Order: sequence, then C-alpha cells, then structure tokens
Amino acid sequence: MHAIIYRWPRYLISLFLIITLNFALPRMMPGDPIANLIGESAYVSEATIQEITQSLGLDRPLHEQFTLYLQSLASLDLGYSYLLHAEVSSIIIERMIWTLGFVGIATLIGVILGVLLGAAAGMNRSQKSSQLWTYGSIAISSTPPYFLGLIALSIFSFHFGLFPLKGAPATGGILTWLHHLALPIAVLALFIAARNCLIMRGSVIQELHEHYPLYAKAKGLTDRMVLRRHILKNASLPVITQIALDIGFIFSGALFIEIVFSMPGMGMLIYDAVLSRDYPILEGCLLVIAIMVILANIAADILYGIIDPRIRRGE
Amino acid sequence: MRIHTVGIVFVTVSILLTAGCVGGDPADHENVLRIGTPMEIKSQNVFGDYNLGIFFALSNPTLSRMNENGEIIGYLASHYTVSDDNRIWTFYIDDSFFWSDGTPVTPEDVAFSITTYGEKIPSARWIGENLDDILIGDNYVSFIFTQPYTTIDLEFCSYRIVPARDWESIDEPLQYTSRGPYTGSGPFYLDDINLQAGILTFERNQHWRGEEPSIDRIEVHSYSNIDSAMLALERGDVDTFYRYAGSYPYTGIQRLEATGNFDFIETTNVGLIFLGLNLKSAPTDDPAFREAIAYAINYEEIIRIDALGYGEVPNRGFVPPSMEFFRDTPPLSYNPAHAEALLDAAGYADKTGNGYRQGKDGEEIGLEILIRSEYARTGELIADYLNDIGVRTTIKTVDATTWFTLKDSYSYDLTITRTTPWGMYMHAGYGTGYFDSRRTGQGVLHYLDDPPFLELCDMMRDTTDPSLQREYAWQMQDYYAENLPGIALYWNKIVTPYNTAFTGWKTDPLYGIYNMETFVNIQRSGA
Repeated sequence: MHAIIYRWPRYLISLFLIITLNFALPRMMPGDPIANLIGESAYVSEATIQEITQSLGLDRPLHEQFTLYLQSLASLDLGYSYLLHAEVSSIIIERMIWTLGFVGIATLIGVILGVLLGAAAGMNRSQKSSQLWTYGSIAISSTPPYFLGLIALSIFSFHFGLFPLKGAPATGGILTWLHHLALPIAVLALFIAARNCLIMRGSVIQELHEHYPLYAKAKGLTDRMVLRRHILKNASLPVITQIALDIGFIFSGALFIEIVFSMPGMGMLIYDAVLSRDYPILEGCLLVIAIMVILANIAADILYGIIDPRIRRGE
Repeated sequence: MRIHTVGIVFVTVSILLTAGCVGGDPADHENVLRIGTPMEIKSQNVFGDYNLGIFFALSNPTLSRMNENGEIIGYLASHYTVSDDNRIWTFYIDDSFFWSDGTPVTPEDVAFSITTYGEKIPSARWIGENLDDILIGDNYVSFIFTQPYTTIDLEFCSYRIVPARDWESIDEPLQYTSRGPYTGSGPFYLDDINLQAGILTFERNQHWRGEEPSIDRIEVHSYSNIDSAMLALERGDVDTFYRYAGSYPYTGIQRLEATGNFDFIETTNVGLIFLGLNLKSAPTDDPAFREAIAYAINYEEIIRIDALGYGEVPNRGFVPPSMEFFRDTPPLSYNPAHAEALLDAAGYADKTGNGYRQGKDGEEIGLEILIRSEYARTGELIADYLNDIGVRTTIKTVDATTWFTLKDSYSYDLTITRTTPWGMYMHAGYGTGYFDSRRTGQGVLHYLDDPPFLELCDMMRDTTDPSLQREYAWQMQDYYAENLPGIALYWNKIVTPYNTAFTGWKTDPLYGIYNMETFVNIQRSGA
C-alpha cells in the first residue's frame, strides 16, 4: 500500500499530461470542425462561418482555449457537442453503458476462459487438445476482429438465422437483449480469450521451470493441485498487466465489433468524432478512457501486491 | 458427470440466447414497410442531423417537391407564384394538409419554419441574410427577398415545415433533441427516433387527407456497415435499401437477383463522379493540358472496374441526361495517343527522355491526386492513365474533413469527388455550384473565376423564364464541353432493390424512392 501511495504523484502527473494531450491532439489534426456543421451541398457565407467559429470559441488563441478547457474540467463540465447536439457528459454516459454492458461481459468471459484454457494448455503442453487450443488461439488472435465479426455474422446470423444482424434491439425484455448481444459478446470474448490464453500458457510454462512447482510435486501434490495452489497465482501476473493495458482497448478498440453489429458504443463515438473533428467529444472520450486506464493500473498495482508478497513487502 | 453438467449448461444458454428466433417473423403479421440504410442517425435533432433531416421530410413535408419527371411542383403549397422581378415568392397553402394532432397547417407555420431556418440553422442562413419581409395572408405566405431569386421553389424542396406552436418556445432548435413523437403533416409522422437500435418509426397520420396509404407503419433501419445492410435485405429483415445520392452496392446485385425475391429500380443518377482540376495552379489551369487529360482517361474501364458496368461514358458537357435541358454534347473518349500529341503541341514534352514530361517552366510535372478513401480505386486508375502519357502523379488519400480543408486551400492538382443530386441543382444549377469561385461549402471546389462563366451563372440565376433557362443551360453545357473545368468520369446508375412483396414504388431525381408518392402508393403484392 505504501508503494501505491508513493505512486500517486506519478498518476497525477500522468493525468495532467493526458489532459494536455487530449486538448492538443485533436487540434493538431488537419481539417476544420466547422466544415462538418454545414453540410455537403450547402452555401454558407464567410460571415456565417466566422459567427459559428466564434460561437464555438475556436477563434480564440490556443492558450485561452486551453485555460477555458481546464476551467470547464474543474467544474466537471466536458462541454457541448455541436455535431451531436447534446452535452458531452450525457452522450458519454449513454454510450458507456453500452460499452460496459457488452465489452465488460465479453472481457470477463474472455479473461476467465483465456486463463483457464491457457493454464491447461501450459500444464499439458504435449496433449493434442492443448495444442489445438494453442493453434486456435494463435489463429483467432491474429485475425482482425472486424473480419471475425463479419464471419460470425454471416454464418450464425445470416446463414443459420440464429441471431439478429444488429446488436441492439428496439424493444424487449432481458431475453431479447441477450439474444441481440450474444453474438457480439461471443466474438469479442473469443478474441480476448485467445489473447489471454496465449499469455497464460506462456506464463505457466515459464513458472513450470521454477523450483517451487517441483518442490510442491515432491511434497506429493498432484499436477492439478500444483497448478491451482501455486502456479495459477504467479502465472496470472502478466494477464493482470495485460488487462490493465487493455482497458483502453476495451473502451475504444471494440469499435470494429460495434461497426459490424451496428452498436452505438464508445468506439463508434470516438470514430465518428475523429472523422468529424468533434473536439469536445474527442476530449471527453479520451479523458474518460485515460482515467479508466489509470484506475486500472492502480487496481493492477494493488492486485500485484495482494498476489505477490514480494511486491507487498517492497522487495 | 462434469461433461453432462457442462453440456446441460451449454444447451440451456443456447436456447436462451436464440430464444428470439422462434415464433416466426413479426413482419408476416404487420403491414409495415422496412427500409434498410447505411445512413446512420447520430442525433435526435431533426434540424441538425443531416441524415435525419432527409428522412424527416416524410413526416414534415416541404413547400414544394420534385416529381418523377424532375419538375418542381407544389407540396404543402397547392401552387405558387413569383413576381416579375423574381423577388417576391408567394406560396398558397393546400388546405387539405392537417397536422397529426388534427389541426390544419397554417401560413403562420410556414412563415415560422422558414424564418427559423434562416435565423437558426447555419446551412440555411442565406435565407435570413436575404429575406426582407414575410407577408402572411389567409391561405398564403409571401417571401420578399432583397434581391432576385429564381430558384426558391427548388430551394424550398429541402426545408421541412414544422408546427409553430410546438417549436416557438424552443429558443435554439439546434440544441433541442427529442426521441419523439413529432407532430407531422405528411402521410406518416415521425413517432420515434431510437438511436441505440438505429430505427426511425413513422406512424400513419390519421388526419392525412390525401391518397390513403395502404401500409400502417414505416421503419427505417440504419446499419453501421454496408455489409450488414445488404445481408439484412437479403434475409428479409428489411424490404428495400435506400441511400441518398447513392446506389445499392453493385457487387451485391447479382446475389439479390439470384434469390428471385427482388426487383430493381434503375435510374441514371443526377449526381456524378468527376475529376476536379485545380484551376488556380499550373499546369491544370491550362485548357490544352485539361484537354489532354480528358483524352488520357479510359472511361469504359473505370465504369467496368469501379461501377461494374452500371454507368455510361459521360459527355464533355458534364451534366447527365437525367437533368432537364440536357444538351447532347460530344462524348468523352479515350485516346492516349491523341492526349500525348496534345501535350507535345502545348509544350509539355519529355525533354530529358526519362519518360516524364516537363512543364512550361522546365520542371518535371508532378501532379498530386487528392482523394478520399472511397475513391481509391478510381484514383489509382487515373494515376495509371496519366503515367501512361508521361505525367508523373502521386496519390494523397485523406479523410473527408482533411479533404475539405485541403481543397478549400487549393492544396492539390487533381481531385476525385462527386456531385449530389441536390448539388447539381444548387446555385445556378447544372453543377455550377461546384465550380463558381464565389461559393463556399463542404463539397464544392470553387476554383472557376472565368468572367464568361460567372456572367452566365448570374444570368441563369436571374431568370424564371423556361425558354431562357433552357438556352442558358445549353450554353453552360457548351462552356463545360469547351473548357473542361471538371471532367465527368462516369454517369452512374442508381440501383434500388426492393422486395417483390411490395409494389407501387415511385422515384424522383432528388431523393430517389424516398418520396411521398412512394409511401402513399406502395402496397403489399396482391393486396
């Protein structure tokens, strides 16, 4: 815990740097956000363009815009999206529920499945089934999620007719929701499981080369007991790191699944904001993701301490 | 035992997750038309969301509309007149239009809506800047402009009329979002905007006095990717496919035909794909150079590769035959030898013998083709054609927003872009809005400041006389043919598939099948 407290300044500095980058990066991109407010075939006079620019505050010097941005953040105001016609915070909350809903469940399933399969594959390397999982995991994790999603959509939704082509229903109860969400969750979970399976397998194999599993076996423990009581804990550290690093992906990287299954999540929100240079949305989303990543890293640090006594003792 | 437990859990979960599959298709029991589209709705703001605005026209008709023949006729207005000086436009409101709450559409509603557009909506600010006064009578509204406007009837095809009493308390319509229902006066009103499911629902307007629709509800289902939209149509989740100014993907047509469940409406698009040549810089400002480029392009190959044959080789006059007052100028043709001869004669020769030509300044010509990713294939073909005649090219691919900025600052030599049907009619019409240097806008190139062209634009904008309109339209197409400020690459077909379970589809040059005529005429086959 002392180590965690010691790291707080680091986290705060990271947060400030992230806020600064959040402000700067969208403005460094080429393109004018005003162009997207006007429309493809519309005529707008220079005076009107200037008026819109002023109303968005984009005519002010950058340092003034940055100061205003910091002031807004201090009052927990993420701004207003003139392209989506709503407060950024309300848009993010709405989309976040989606993302947490389907990506959260997929991550949970993917991590559990990946850890269990990876551990089994690592323990029984020579078994055919373990090799099959490993090859399968390599194939899946190296397939672009977009392609994986389209294949699943084509087979299970279109040809077999088992699932809807969209990830979100118009109405209905929990069963309807599950029915719509099942396929995107399954695809994403499969992808996450494959990645974690490979990491866990490698980690378990590495741990098997240590002395403690041998010692545990010598005490008379079965392979299963050695895995469950000793190896699993130590081998899970890289997976925890991976999950913490994956938080950014969890919120934004599921974009391709969202596109394939027409789901209005955070990934789509960020993608659209990048294309249309919607600065407030971009700043808001990036900030939320950055905070999530920092929180996940804090959680990973705490978990490390719980799992590994050496870290807890500061060795 | 463990295997059995896992199996039971798996089967149970599978049954639960696929539970929605049983019970049959609800479409079998409802009189609903479902339209699939890749045009996503991003916001519940009917004034601000571009795609929602297009769909909203079904609920809230415009003052005028375009019929199947491309003629402008009254819609909410039974008829309209214009003063001799083209400044005063009077629209007589059709008294058979009623809002979905049972009250009649009034001239006050019309005046309020147009004023709101002019004052509050950036893309319509030109109305506010040029409107001098509005006179409201018992059954008419007169718009008095500060200068002559000859295309108000066309312009007003795109401004939806809303009930004043619902909207006058809303100070900033661009900041107002609502899921619905919206009071409408069309044959259907917009009942619900479900952003998360991507569905717009239109219900029958019980106070509609026009031709009685035979369907009860219209649903617009948007898909984030075109592949899902195509699968949805083929699977029967939706009954037709709609994309403003765009066709059903040509790659999917054969597959749909094979099912035997679909028919197709095929029309020549009023909009087109064209090559823009930056007239603000050399060598593309040289008419002789542009002439050579026009001969270097293999139009038939582009049509075959990019449009899979669903297009025609265009004329030099740019404007497609689907527009009124089309003039049959000579067709563009592929003749690379002639292109090379033209370049040699114009002084763009390969003096160093390295296979590439030099400009008049002695430097090797290097043209940058600025494209958005959707034109990647066409861009590569154009680059190949130009390389074949000794003009070195590079392709710069950017996203749409970057493209807007670069084309506005003339930071390119060539660009490939499109005109929309609406864009072809805007300004003085006939695509002039894309070239006139006095205009600004997201999709326009505004690089042509040749005085005869500008003068002709002004003359076209100053007349409502049909005979003069035709004469000027022909002159403009002749001007295009002679000067080639833009080279049409192909006139494409818009192919709209529909399920044969429905009949009665109508199409207009502006919005395709998405028009009032379709929705009041459409019915289930055999009904």
